[in-house]
Amino acid sequence: MKKSMFARLGVLFLSVVLLAAFGTVAAAKDIRVGGIMDTTGATSDVGKDYAIGMADAFKYINSQGGVNGKKIKYTWFDYGYRIPEAITKYKMLKRIGAVAIMGWGTGDTEALSPTVNKDKIPYVSASYSAHLTNPAKTPYNLFFSSDYSTNARCCLTAWFDKKWPNHPDFGKRKPRMACCYQFSSPYCSAPINAIKNQAKLLGFEIGPDQDVNLMALDTKSQIMALKAFKPDVVWHGNTVMSVAATIRDAYALGLGAAWIIDNWGFDENLPRLAGEAAEGAMGATPCAFFGQNVKNMDLVVTSAEKYSPGVPLGKRTIHTVQAWGDALVLWEALKRADAAGVDITKKGSGPAIMKKGFETMRNFDIGLGAAPISYTATDHRPATGCRVQEWKGGKFEVVEDVNLKKRWPDLWEKSEKEGGFFGY
Amino acid sequence: MSSVWLPCGDYHQDYREDQGWWQTRFIKGKMILLLLVAFVVMPLLLDGYWISVATMVGYTAMGALGVQLLIGYAGLLTLGHAAFIAVGAYTSTMLVLQFPWPQFMLDAGLAYPVSILAAGVVAGFWSVLFGLPSAKVKGFYLILTTMAAQFITVDFVLTQYISQIGGRGQAFSLPPGTIKIGPWVIDTELSIYFVMAVLLSLMIIVLANLLRSKPGRAWVAIRDNDIAAEALGINIIWYKLLAFFVAGFMAGVAGAFWVCNTAALSPEHFQWFLSLWLVGVILIGGVGSIQGAVFGSIFMVVVMELLQLAVIPLADYFPQLLMDFAYIKDMAFGLAICAFLIYEPNGLAYRWWQAKNYFNLWPFSY
Repeated sequence: MKKSMFARLGVLFLSVVLLAAFGTVAAAKDIRVGGIMDTTGATSDVGKDYAIGMADAFKYINSQGGVNGKKIKYTWFDYGYRIPEAITKYKMLKRIGAVAIMGWGTGDTEALSPTVNKDKIPYVSASYSAHLTNPAKTPYNLFFSSDYSTNARCCLTAWFDKKWPNHPDFGKRKPRMACCYQFSSPYCSAPINAIKNQAKLLGFEIGPDQDVNLMALDTKSQIMALKAFKPDVVWHGNTVMSVAATIRDAYALGLGAAWIIDNWGFDENLPRLAGEAAEGAMGATPCAFFGQNVKNMDLVVTSAEKYSPGVPLGKRTIHTVQAWGDALVLWEALKRADAAGVDITKKGSGPAIMKKGFETMRNFDIGLGAAPISYTATDHRPATGCRVQEWKGGKFEVVEDVNLKKRWPDLWEKSEKEGGFFGY
Repeated sequence: MSSVWLPCGDYHQDYREDQGWWQTRFIKGKMILLLLVAFVVMPLLLDGYWISVATMVGYTAMGALGVQLLIGYAGLLTLGHAAFIAVGAYTSTMLVLQFPWPQFMLDAGLAYPVSILAAGVVAGFWSVLFGLPSAKVKGFYLILTTMAAQFITVDFVLTQYISQIGGRGQAFSLPPGTIKIGPWVIDTELSIYFVMAVLLSLMIIVLANLLRSKPGRAWVAIRDNDIAAEALGINIIWYKLLAFFVAGFMAGVAGAFWVCNTAALSPEHFQWFLSLWLVGVILIGGVGSIQGAVFGSIFMVVVMELLQLAVIPLADYFPQLLMDFAYIKDMAFGLAICAFLIYEPNGLAYRWWQAKNYFNLWPFSY
């Protein structure tokens, strides 16, 4: 009896799943946009806020009439930061007719880029890997922010400009730099070549890299290894949880180095997690922190209150704002493509959305404290530099707005092989 | 035995007959029909998405076959199979990208097929290396030594050294057109599916043949009682290592195949969870059965995909479903294993066996 009950329940469950699954195909004709997010995996410490922010942004966009009157149907999934999962999610989103996809991590975005190129679907990612900025290789990959390599170069340059001259050893020896990041993570390792080249350009001595896992809670052995090198500044390329663990351990063990951090490791949670160890930490900020007084931030804050009332405003971070940055860029591209006569509800409209939408943007201002955005058919680096901020006396302060293109115009245009900054 | 049907019941008179592949014309017809379904009907009927799902089923089954051989047939518990798949994937990728192939081989599209074989061999020997402790330990202890394979291979060797080759660092991308078999460029869902179908069919044929030969009988004897097997004169260390080699070889081929599916590679593709997933697949499919590995793969991949599709319309009413989807999926995976262990411990393959027996014995009930 029990067994037959189990069998019946099983059949009932499968029937519901099958009905719902095949019902999915016959949906209304909206603009289908897909999303692949991490709300439970290794980068969920920052990914959850981004995912919620993205959902808020699309609700807001639809409340404003969508794209010239056409509503966006945003369908997204958590993939738990597992690349094979991201691939199956991508294929499912392609099947339901997504004309653009909002992606997440560098590993999966880079893994998917050959497929994205083949399918010609604009892929707006939260991965800002510079490997995705050369349209000759990745013509459908985009993001609103300065890329990781630019971030890393700018952070090191800002420290060199503003902090090194105040160091007691300034003028006596070369400054020393080292890197902490998870070696196996394409996100963490993406800007390492770039920052080392920048260090050489600025005359640094470079120390041994330290492998810090994205889930690390204890990094004392890495700090002890760093102490042997005595770095003046350390780049951290992870997300906030492991960054906080590292700088806490460095503080406790008296490493005495300054920290420069990539954007996913430098948010409102860093001082909460690291306490006084976060004092003086500097990081790349592609946009304003949540709630800061900049253009369009009111939309972000009111939408957060309205559409995600279960998440207190005090817990929202810069990653919500980053999600808005990517969503607003897509919105603008879709509006431009639609106005140019492209059928943006149609599967396969990707090339036209790129050409008539994204690649028409020149110094487009999305607000949110982000740099003006430009995409061309030959260069998908949206910004030429980045703002570097510092956690000081209980608040974030601007250290320097570094503009690499202005400072090194020749190198900005040249590729890695030619010793320049483009595309890596 | 020349009849179309076997008489009701089991009338095999010797081992050769019992283990024969083509026992009746009906069985031969059934297998030809299965091949037709796999190679003709499915590619004609399924759209690109479902073809890609079928490809994932095949990839999972390729990995699960090796786990099935180790756990189900040789009794060697393993939780490090993802490492051997990774070795295969990196061997194939490195050979395709870095090896100085003679031009005629590139023109003839032989580089990738040769790299698949090489991937199998390298992964096979790598697997033997981590199988060496099986000479001294078994059970839970062997699980730990195979888990070491994951950390040493993926987190250390591949991440720290292999990924750095060529200066790319951490992720390799294979440029379009790199993966060719003969004149065919493998870059569409359908062509990838066909590669999978051919490789999986070959792997099943080879494994099925091995299992009905001397090594297969030795593996089963070791699984059932290794001391008794040794007393019977079976060189248990040799056969255990052979099991690791064959399982590693199949994992290597699966890894080489994965490369053509993604055209990009990083150590993150081969997280430890994949090893656990493959063990779950054979638990659900049925331990000690080749069909079990295939049924388990179909169940795990297809059910998870259906779950994913089902969530889309439901998400309008329950948005939290999207946020927690990975948890839901992991929960479904865990629940499926629990449910099968409680209600169907012999797995789906047992149900298949029962259904076959029912028709074999029909019209009698036993």
